[in-house]
Amino acid sequence: MFYFIGKFLYQHYDIFSYFRLVNYISFRAIMAALTAVIFVFLCSRPFIMLLHKKRIRDQARDTGLKSISDKSGTPTMGGLLIIGGVLFSMFLWGNWKSPFLLSTLSATLWFGMLGFADDLKKIRKKSGDKGLSEKTKLIFQAVYAVAFGYWVTSKISPLGKHALEFYIPFVKYPIFHLPNFVYVVFLFLFILFVANSVNLTDGLDGLAITSSLFVIGILGIFAYILGNKIYANYLYYPYLTGSGELMIVCASFVGAGLGFLWYNAYPAQIFMGDTGSLAIGATIATMCIMLKQEMVFPIAGGLFVAEALTSQIQDKIGVRLVGKRIFYRAPLHHSLQYKGLAEPKVVTRLSILSGILAILALATIKIR
Amino acid sequence: MKILLLTFAGLYVLLLFVVHISFYSAGRKKKGVKSIILTGGGTGGHVYPLLAIYEEIRSRYPEYNFSYIGIKGKAEAKIIPRENIDLYFTVSTGYPGFRNFPAFLRFFIIVTIGSLKCFYLLIKLKPNCLISTGGYVSAPALIAAIVLRTFFRIKIKIFIHEQNTIPGQLNRIFGGWADCVFVSFKETISFFPKNGIFTGYPVRPKIFTSELDLDQELKNKISKDKKVVFIFGGSQGARTINRALVDALPYLFPYRKKLFIIHGMGLAKSRIYNAYADTMDRLSRLDKEVRKELSSFYYARDYFHNIGAIYKRSHLIVCRSGAGTINEIAALGKPSVLIPKGGLPGDHQVMNARAMKKAGAAHIIYEDIKRDKKGEIIEFIDGQVLARTIISILQDSSMLSTMSLAARSFFKGDAAKKIVDCIESSQKAQELQQSSLKVADSHASLVLPPRGAVINKLKQIYEENPSTYNPAQILSDDEIDYYRYKATRLLYNPEWPIRNVGVKLCGYMVHRDKLSELIRMITDRTPVSLWLRLLGGDFVEVGFIRRNAIHSIVIMDVFDKDVEHALEKAIDDPYYEVRSEACRALRHFSSHVAGKDKWLNKLLEKLEDPSFEVVYEAAITLGHIGIDRRAFEPLLQLGTHHSWQIRHAALLGILKLLERHVLFPSPSVAEQISGFVLTSTDFQPVFHIKETYRKILELCTAET
Repeated sequence: MFYFIGKFLYQHYDIFSYFRLVNYISFRAIMAALTAVIFVFLCSRPFIMLLHKKRIRDQARDTGLKSISDKSGTPTMGGLLIIGGVLFSMFLWGNWKSPFLLSTLSATLWFGMLGFADDLKKIRKKSGDKGLSEKTKLIFQAVYAVAFGYWVTSKISPLGKHALEFYIPFVKYPIFHLPNFVYVVFLFLFILFVANSVNLTDGLDGLAITSSLFVIGILGIFAYILGNKIYANYLYYPYLTGSGELMIVCASFVGAGLGFLWYNAYPAQIFMGDTGSLAIGATIATMCIMLKQEMVFPIAGGLFVAEALTSQIQDKIGVRLVGKRIFYRAPLHHSLQYKGLAEPKVVTRLSILSGILAILALATIKIR
Repeated sequence: MKILLLTFAGLYVLLLFVVHISFYSAGRKKKGVKSIILTGGGTGGHVYPLLAIYEEIRSRYPEYNFSYIGIKGKAEAKIIPRENIDLYFTVSTGYPGFRNFPAFLRFFIIVTIGSLKCFYLLIKLKPNCLISTGGYVSAPALIAAIVLRTFFRIKIKIFIHEQNTIPGQLNRIFGGWADCVFVSFKETISFFPKNGIFTGYPVRPKIFTSELDLDQELKNKISKDKKVVFIFGGSQGARTINRALVDALPYLFPYRKKLFIIHGMGLAKSRIYNAYADTMDRLSRLDKEVRKELSSFYYARDYFHNIGAIYKRSHLIVCRSGAGTINEIAALGKPSVLIPKGGLPGDHQVMNARAMKKAGAAHIIYEDIKRDKKGEIIEFIDGQVLARTIISILQDSSMLSTMSLAARSFFKGDAAKKIVDCIESSQKAQELQQSSLKVADSHASLVLPPRGAVINKLKQIYEENPSTYNPAQILSDDEIDYYRYKATRLLYNPEWPIRNVGVKLCGYMVHRDKLSELIRMITDRTPVSLWLRLLGGDFVEVGFIRRNAIHSIVIMDVFDKDVEHALEKAIDDPYYEVRSEACRALRHFSSHVAGKDKWLNKLLEKLEDPSFEVVYEAAITLGHIGIDRRAFEPLLQLGTHHSWQIRHAALLGILKLLERHVLFPSPSVAEQISGFVLTSTDFQPVFHIKETYRKILELCTAET
């Protein structure tokens, strides 16, 4: 809103030339982050109490670990806070007409709604295992992923001539020009993988939000570079007109996430639930795609990859196929807990790991 | 697009007209004369009740037209022509499940073709109502009738009769469309809450008025004071029953003066099983002494045409529990020993048998399963068990008479009459439906909670107090028998996830008969296929099964040489959970293994295990079975292990040694353990508010 008001004012009235500030992405990013943080801070307490009143409480799944039992009764669906904070600050500071912003937020909303439905069903059925079935979730995710993939590779894609290029870290130029269809399939798998890996990581207090904040922060930096012609040319990145807008989205996510972490830190007063984890996962996925940094995700989000792989290998190969546990427990964080690490210790260590991974991912900017 | 829609609409209207005109055209029938289509079959079990209904309708309205829709080569093709009913053929096939797509496609095509044929037949025959007794044979006719009714507004009433306790898939699906679903057991009403009517099973009156008498030969053989037992396994014969009877003969031999056995061997002559030859072969291998006197108390034939007469002459009937058979037995008020055939859809024979047992009219002997010498899995019944059951029932004449009474009251004699009443008037049907709902409410359903829920419940009870565990705490004897039978069947399933459930169920049911199979599972080393091994698999009896088998043995609480041997193998198992489970099992059996050097050395070896879980369990177990300082010293050395859990386990072990007075509490022990590293990376958080809340809650629940 302020973007349009400011623009209107400084274009028409000289005395408002000060409002040129809104043209600067860095300024809007900072403001967006602050707005989101303040929004979440202000809303959290009443929201948590509201959840308690409505008895929207986490239905913990039995993971065979003892400490989990004392967590029941914590309200869930905190993802609504994050989404709300992001939307509010985007409403104030975003350029609503930017396709980058719109596509990313559409993913947040779609997956957020899917997660919301899942959480709601779990609460209704009073069991952590009775949410939406895996199939239903995958179908809804697939619908979005295919539509998104189709849009990104189509003629109206904001990525223009770069739409079908495929970059890998540490290499300056695109290694492939993928055929349309292959790229859509890849994007489809990518979105599903990323969204669900964040969902799987969400199991300990503050784990999912800390590690995704690192990834989102990195993506913000990428967005700033790629949306700036000078930096992009200097660092040999493809210049994506208007992608700087994504930095503002990232900033608002970081703000909202920090605000959420305030309450989500061990011992948590609120969980993000599938509402939050799916929404954040999908946002990360779409941002990676819009910034042509798909293959940076395995580095920056290495933790998510590890969590997803351990959980899937354990379940699909171990428990279903060969009839044994391949890891002590899955996903990764439960394995660490099982080996005798207290929950806050696991969260801190994994956060440190994702911080290191984030630094590694930053290294790909220059080392190419 | 529009044109397409219009064409469809036009075609539909045209078809509607054509169907209506052809269906209601002149000369449809004389007034009051109705046309009735009968369908259902595949086996005699579906055909005979339909014939009973048919006979009842015909006795009331001889002028009605009847037609039968069946499939070539099935039971109805042999039986129906004898009854002088017009028989039309269609095609159909059993539902193969959705997973197997080619089979599903084939099923879909065949049923579509069959339905089209029936569609034509129905228009041609212009029926007023359709009566189906289930079986996939009836699917095309039902589909055609439903299509005619819903899309072409043609009035055809649909009636379905379900013979078994657990309805077949087809009747469950089409039951919703039918005007009425007649059921044979009270317990079945719950499947059709809207239109289910409890009528009973229509038995053909011929069974009561069998004009054929016993053969003269047989008549002469049976002296009056002998109790007659009739054993048969259906018209084809049942291998398990035939073999069990032959095995039982030596045990029945001492009672030969008071007993006569009539054995219907069955007509089976397939490559897998030839009833006559196999039975004769087995008979010839009996003891010489038994064989000499055999003909004085045993008579076998492959088939009896005058089965009604034999039913009447017998005091006890041993047979399968198909719906038809048990209703015939009940109609004649005969006590029975039922041997349900397993693995049928919905386990309906088992449920039928349990319904009879609940009524007090029958005993059940469940089939057992074992591996023969070649390792092949065969179903069998222990001859001794069969003999014992027969003798104990026959010796107790009061039991015989109560069972006989119970059987008679179990049987609803007017089933066919009620059914035809309902077909005649919908008002009557409604009344009966209301009353059957009441009956259904007053009787608990036979359907038991799924085994998963039972296992979870029992697991909870076991974990609360393992030493007093007994499944009888929440299950009745009948249920325990049933779940044991179920566990046995699961235990030999080729799919490992199902076997695994069987292993757990065996344990929680304390089914000690299956101990040898569990031991075999733990020690079996048959490798799985290469690609599974590449993914991390090892043996056919997968890791979970081996682990759970050990746990099941612990629940059963049996320790002998074989168990010890199995544990020895398990503690060196390639899968870590099996090793740690074996350590836990040793703890449970500590009174048997304490002090044995063999086990002490094994456990000391396990302290070096790559998996911390195994080291943890081994350290605790050392405390339970150690008898001297050889157990104490290694535990002390664990005091500086990097994992706090293992250090903790070592302390637990030492504590146990002290409790068992292997070590004497002294300052020197305290001195020795002072080297333990006590920092830990884990702790139990305490939420004071939750603690207080729980205290209040406990107080409040204790008050009420």
